Amino acid sequence: MFELIDTLTQTFGPSGYEKKVAGTIADLLKGKVDEIRSDALGNLICVKKGSGKKIMLAAHMDEIGIIVSYIDDKGFLRFGNIGGIPPLMILGQRVVFENGTTGVIWYEEDIDNMKNTKLDKMYIDIGANSRTDAEKLVKVGDLAVFVGETVEQNGRIISKALDDRIGCAVLVQLALSRPQTDNEIYYVFTAQEEVGLRGAKTAAFGIIPDMALAIDVCDTGDTPSCKPMAVRLGEGPAVKIKDHSVIAHPKVKDRLINAAKEKNIPYQLEVMLAGGTDAGSIHTTAGGIPSGGVSIPTRYIHDASEMVDIADVENAVKLLAEFVKEMVH
Amino acid sequence: MMECGELLKELSEISAVTGRENMAAEKIAGLFREYCDEVRIDAFYNVIGLKKGQSENPGTVLVTAHYDEIGLIVTGIEDSGFLRFAAAGGIDAKTIGAMEVTVHGSKDLFGVIGTKPPHLIPPEDADKTVKMEDMRIDIGFDGPKARELVRVGDMVSFRFPVQELLNKRLAGKSMDNRSGVAALVEILKELRKVRHEDNVYVVATVQEELGLIGAFCTTYNIRADLGIVIDVCHGDMPDCPSDEVFPLDKGVAVAVGPILNRKHTRACIRLAEDERIPYQVDPEASDTGTEAAVHAVAREGIPVILLSIPSKYMHTPVELVAIDDIVSTGRLAARYIAGRGKE
Repeated sequence: MFELIDTLTQTFGPSGYEKKVAGTIADLLKGKVDEIRSDALGNLICVKKGSGKKIMLAAHMDEIGIIVSYIDDKGFLRFGNIGGIPPLMILGQRVVFENGTTGVIWYEEDIDNMKNTKLDKMYIDIGANSRTDAEKLVKVGDLAVFVGETVEQNGRIISKALDDRIGCAVLVQLALSRPQTDNEIYYVFTAQEEVGLRGAKTAAFGIIPDMALAIDVCDTGDTPSCKPMAVRLGEGPAVKIKDHSVIAHPKVKDRLINAAKEKNIPYQLEVMLAGGTDAGSIHTTAGGIPSGGVSIPTRYIHDASEMVDIADVENAVKLLAEFVKEMVH
Repeated sequence: MMECGELLKELSEISAVTGRENMAAEKIAGLFREYCDEVRIDAFYNVIGLKKGQSENPGTVLVTAHYDEIGLIVTGIEDSGFLRFAAAGGIDAKTIGAMEVTVHGSKDLFGVIGTKPPHLIPPEDADKTVKMEDMRIDIGFDGPKARELVRVGDMVSFRFPVQELLNKRLAGKSMDNRSGVAALVEILKELRKVRHEDNVYVVATVQEELGLIGAFCTTYNIRADLGIVIDVCHGDMPDCPSDEVFPLDKGVAVAVGPILNRKHTRACIRLAEDERIPYQVDPEASDTGTEAAVHAVAREGIPVILLSIPSKYMHTPVELVAIDDIVSTGRLAARYIAGRGKE
């Protein structure tokens, strides 16, 4: 499992540029599913055929990052965000472009209020001496992602891009285990979630499943002085009740809870007050698709060092295996 | 057949917190059955009534009014048995201290939102408002018992018996938008009296308060030639901008604005004039924030009219409406529908 997570998290793939991630996943699943295809938005759709109901499981491939908007005379890069980036978290972080160019994020030091620092007061230093020098490596419009190696420690994984490569890892693991069921399972690795749940919308319209789940990360409430939330690392995957984009369909959430109870799989209930998931765009597609989610409790979401518990990840695979086997009513 | 005020009283006291309308869908369906040829509940608990038209080639009119209500959602259960909560839909924390609530746990539980007595509030905090995250619901149990009956994610609705005020006005919870649902029934009553050519779908929709979710489903599933949305607008209140509030008892507010179909809206206003149905004009510069925004861009686009019932104190448990405004809303919509195909 660690190797799979390491491979997936370290593959370059900010929103709109998911191709490498899709290629990696397609290689892993080749021959293990009945059909692999991609659509115009870059979603990767892997199908296990069946005569039963259509179940769509979505995990997004894209990660947050930055996009170069301007290069000044001295070779410093100005940038905008791809997805939600808390300015204070990225100060001093490294970013890396697709061609391997590394940059350091710093800020205009004459600003007086760090708390209100915005991205337009920050820049990326790639060590260039001039615009011409910089343009040999980076152009306006190029995207970069944050640097954060993947580490396993105390049963936990620390890495960049666990949001949502960990969801991708869960689905890959599930697909490789080839759950025996008549239901038709769509393992959908979606594009552009971080910029507005976009890939999932077209993927869902193309499939029109009977039921859908987003497999993504959720916050926890178990770190010093954090906002209260009834989810803790290591106490099981979270069954989504609500996030900012969706209220889980009662039948979907009940089915997940029942599956967990029957098989004694630890689980928690997720009420996440900020942040959405692919379920938000899937459930309003094509006249309405009953949707919910299974989330991996994750600390420090959208930081270059996100943290998950490996047992939660394994239990999420078990829970989903039960969920897809049962006939949909 | 129930009189409009009586019906609204009954509707107001139903619990259907946004996202958990399964609690009430069957009740709404029951109301429609008396007047409709077909009634069904879809996978999202939208309640869909069809009253067939008499034309051999009937057009389709889709009338939507949401029936979900704002409420609370349990976010945590403390060892002491107090429940933490967050808003489901837009709620001003100032309005909910000391409210009575129903916690929809494994069974319905009575609860109160506890507030600190004035004696114990330090003088420097006396003028401060309490944030929702610092409030708790007290259901009278200790932690273990509370955890047995309540789970994170359970919904909570406000309890507030409807009160009848002077001038045929009602105050209570969920007038947004059970007033609209009452207007749907008024439309059905009116349509029974007249011949109409088109098939008319009346739909009580879900999850409007979360982002117009029920309307997204409905406008895709029912291919309509005309959409009519019924919701509430702000009633006239002190200290509010006069162009955003509408007096009660002056009739239905017909919205005029860029996303609203001009031909139908004008014809509707002309009809109100001709038939002496009281109305007022509601200028809406933006997308209205109502289900009309969804109708307008659904599939190939549905020409849409927005009719609003003025309600004071929106999103509090004391929303206040005038019955006559609901009746005029239903009447105008029904007459407009019945007039179609006869021009």
